[in-house]
Amino acid sequence: MAGAESVGANAVTEQRDSWITGTLVLFCLMSMVVTVVAGLIQVSFGEYSMTVLEAWKAVFNPAVIFDLNAWVSFLFGTERPDMSTNSIVVWNLRLPRVFVGIITGATLAVSGAIFQAVTRNELASPFILGVSSGAGFAVLATLVVFSGFAPFLPLIATLGGTLAFGLVYSIAWKGGTSPVRLVLAGVIVNMVFQSLQQGLFFFADDLGVVQTAIAWITGSLTGTGWEEVRIAILPAIIAIAIALAGARQLNVLMLGENTARSLGMRVERVRFFLSGVAILAASVAIAVAGVVSFFGLVVPHIVRNTVGGDYRRLMVGCVFAGPALMVTADVGARLAMGGTQMPVGVVTGLIGGPYFLYLMRKQQSMGEL
Amino acid sequence: MARTQRNTDRERTQITDDNGIAIESALVGDGLELSYPSSDGTVVECTRLDIPEEAVTALVGPNGSGKSTLLKALSNHLKPDTGTVRIHGEDLDSFSQKELARELGVLSQENDSLGSISVEDLVYHGRYPHRGFFDGADEADHRAVERAIELAGIDEIRDTELGQLSGGQKQLAWIAMVLAQDTDVLLLDEPTTFLDVHHQFRVLETIRQLNEEKGVTVAVILHDIAQAARFADYLVAMHDGKLYDWGPPEEVVTEQLLADVFAIEATVEYEPELQVLPKRALPDR
Repeated sequence: MAGAESVGANAVTEQRDSWITGTLVLFCLMSMVVTVVAGLIQVSFGEYSMTVLEAWKAVFNPAVIFDLNAWVSFLFGTERPDMSTNSIVVWNLRLPRVFVGIITGATLAVSGAIFQAVTRNELASPFILGVSSGAGFAVLATLVVFSGFAPFLPLIATLGGTLAFGLVYSIAWKGGTSPVRLVLAGVIVNMVFQSLQQGLFFFADDLGVVQTAIAWITGSLTGTGWEEVRIAILPAIIAIAIALAGARQLNVLMLGENTARSLGMRVERVRFFLSGVAILAASVAIAVAGVVSFFGLVVPHIVRNTVGGDYRRLMVGCVFAGPALMVTADVGARLAMGGTQMPVGVVTGLIGGPYFLYLMRKQQSMGEL
Repeated sequence: MARTQRNTDRERTQITDDNGIAIESALVGDGLELSYPSSDGTVVECTRLDIPEEAVTALVGPNGSGKSTLLKALSNHLKPDTGTVRIHGEDLDSFSQKELARELGVLSQENDSLGSISVEDLVYHGRYPHRGFFDGADEADHRAVERAIELAGIDEIRDTELGQLSGGQKQLAWIAMVLAQDTDVLLLDEPTTFLDVHHQFRVLETIRQLNEEKGVTVAVILHDIAQAARFADYLVAMHDGKLYDWGPPEEVVTEQLLADVFAIEATVEYEPELQVLPKRALPDR
């Protein structure tokens, strides 16, 4: 009897894992393939000329991949062990940019997805809710005025993002918030912080700083290396892990505030905590890549259209789709114009804007989830 | 039972049933004054409200009489300006949000509809108060969900997405979610409004079955006085934010009540069973 019971329970458990659908697995695999292919294209071209084959050989060079010292040097900034010039070019100059793309893509997508659930607003994203411009302002101020604090960039970006999001939320709050009020408040706070950003340019000492700052405001992966990976990887992993584990909380939040409360959720607290995670995720990306527009808004939409609205699926989908799209967009940014590199934010804006318009036209209603 | 220590020194008139046996109350509202932060003035005033244990109590009254407000206070969704609400003799404030959700199930009137969630997933959300922040579902959860789905009779639509269901099926799915919460007390805000007659009965029969088989205490707001009179063990009639009368339907439902509270002229038949036959609306007073 006991045996029969446990067998039955197992069957039920298996059934409960059914949120992992074939579509989701396929979607994630496809995303991974796209990420790898785009990454390989990225490392194959550059100023230092080598053939595609040489570059790929360098990528899959077992002497580097299985060299503990090399990884220690990449991740902790210790001295690099000896390796061939090809390996140095690929592993030290070109690949880290791909990794930064992966990290920023995943964090921005996850951040947007969380914000959309917390505010129950399809239009929510770190960009629209002011987090991007707040964090952007904080980072810019650090670069231009307080350059001594540069090692704490993610922390500073998080503080700026939190401040801006807090402002947006308190402006929009009137015994509750509505999607439209949140977006309007976001527009206002965005404008204020963007003005502040532009004002900061007048305090820049030389043209070099201004150029960095501009690349930074548009969102760029140019010149990112292992140092950026080192800055971003830990907070990114923490934020993504919490986001994945908190997917069920987001699902319950999506049932509406009243229902969530009836079910025993301390709605304000959960909302606040998960917003914090989303701000952290967005700030990580902003600290290393700047403000990549439209990304956090559009990627969750693409994933939702493919795998459905269940946040357990949506989060996993975002973690895979974000990197794929970011690395691909960065390939376009770096290689499409021949000699000149564009900031990746220009590419995402150019593609993301029209795509979002298309979504708006296609869907009957937009706004409340 | 853990909850044996009751307030014995509390002065109250004991409610008794036909045989004079005292009836315990699962939920008691004491000296309640309720208002909303956005509007001034007290919306509901109620010196004493009892929801008798293991019985079905229907709250009736016209629109704006304060039924929903009262239910919000009973479920801790609205903090009373004065007074307390006790469940099984203990103050609602002494519970954490999750503890309360294990004692008291609530279904609000409007449930923002999510299109893309399957019925089964929705019912699993009812297990929320029984699970930790990061916990998966365990065997007790599976059993409770199966039971809830069976009770609500929605097995054949369990994999269907909510957006594809009719209003009545949706309501049954939401009710199954509250049932999965596995509480001793259930508060339902107008679960039958906007449903066709078939689904109205499905919902009411589910509630009745739950009450009879599991001894669950139910407080339910019903729009239709005739339906409430036939269905409930006790009626609470609200009028202008005050408690007009309460007790068994045979005692509460009179032509006077229908005139005073609902502003309709109606005949009430007591034999062979209680029946309300509305005739016409009375002119505004």
